[in-house]
Amino acid sequence: MSAAKVMIVDDSFFSRTLLAETLQLGGCEVVGEADSFDSLIETYNNCQPDIVTMDIVMPGTDGFECSRALLMNDPSAKIILVSSMKDEETEAEARRTGIAGYVQKPVDGEYLSNIIKNILSPDTLFEELIESAPGIFNEALSQNITRMTKTPVSFESMDTFDNNYVSQGITTVIGIIGRYSGSMILDLSSEAAEQIVEVLLHRPSKNHEEVLAMVAELANIIAGVACSMLNKKDKSYSLRVSPPSVFFSSSSEIASPNLKIQASYAQTTFGPVFLGIGFKKGAASWI
Amino acid sequence: MDINLINPLILSFIDILPQIGFQAVERKGLSLVASTLDYDGVLVNISLVGVLKGAILIGMSLDSAKEFASKMMMGMPVADFDSLAQSAISEMGNMVCANACTQFSKVGIDGLDISPPVLLIGHNGQATLPVPQTIAVQFLVDGIEINVYVGLIEVNG
Repeated sequence: MSAAKVMIVDDSFFSRTLLAETLQLGGCEVVGEADSFDSLIETYNNCQPDIVTMDIVMPGTDGFECSRALLMNDPSAKIILVSSMKDEETEAEARRTGIAGYVQKPVDGEYLSNIIKNILSPDTLFEELIESAPGIFNEALSQNITRMTKTPVSFESMDTFDNNYVSQGITTVIGIIGRYSGSMILDLSSEAAEQIVEVLLHRPSKNHEEVLAMVAELANIIAGVACSMLNKKDKSYSLRVSPPSVFFSSSSEIASPNLKIQASYAQTTFGPVFLGIGFKKGAASWI
Repeated sequence: MDINLINPLILSFIDILPQIGFQAVERKGLSLVASTLDYDGVLVNISLVGVLKGAILIGMSLDSAKEFASKMMMGMPVADFDSLAQSAISEMGNMVCANACTQFSKVGIDGLDISPPVLLIGHNGQATLPVPQTIAVQFLVDGIEINVYVGLIEVNG
């Protein structure tokens, strides 16, 4: 692997010099330095670093504000927060902000090198998740529809959906939290949902709310079953699901601009059911 | 649902929006509404999991969303609500909700986590959140109207 290109963001000249020295000793190349919010983006775009180290305390700004600006400029920016404090909540905020790693001052050279190595190495656990998740979610959907309605389900792959997906009518979104966070999107027509309700309840649905409640429950079961199956595959995924949000519109589109969704169409007796699943890559350095 | 649960989110709006190019963040109204609400335009869904569970929706009209995205991109014209504008709005939702988790932890509600944003773009739509009641807050951000719906329940144990 060639030397990692690092940009240092710190208001203190002394700290920058010290950190640059540590990085160079660890085999990294320091390609840029910024001492304030104002010079941040320009320096980043000019030097195109693999990694940015970010001091947390700076006059008139802080490492979080600078990290947000960097991530808005380049969502794939890989930032390591450098702070003299190391507490759980700062770590949690860093993780939620999309910061890839966290080191404490005074910086231990070997520890920092390991974090940089981790961030830049392929995350095999994530790749396994991306590989297996669509199949497992499809299996959870097919198992449950088949079990509940005694009708068969087959799948048609849609690969990934790059552009917006036009809803068939009812959309359910479930958030997934854990080592990697993600979203599950289930979408079907009102007619299909009404038919499923009729089979399950042995009578037509009483009202629209009943139909939406059934769809929410179906999505909830699919997400729960699929995440348990994935957790069984690897405990460290620790996936948990949010309750479902349900959307209904005669003309709406669904977009997931910052998360790649892998989608498939389940062909059911009641009509096609769209099932999309996406996970966000986390940073190995957090674990 | 406890109306005080809205405060961390309000603080987060006031904290984050000035960092992404907005000057005036005013809170207009606040009300307790049912779990189903109407929307027209753009809705960002972000789910929360932890000692509180549910979702936060951030909604605005399509024109407002274009204006908002344009401001976030330093005035770059946004004629269509294209993938770049969609990405900007969803990133804003992510930042606000991530920071809201930090604000929650300041009042002793720790360990919340959020899912990536999903965007709904539609007309005459309805959203149903998985809670008995939702708190609706209106913000006026540099003259742009934003509706925020918070549907969270406390998880026992």
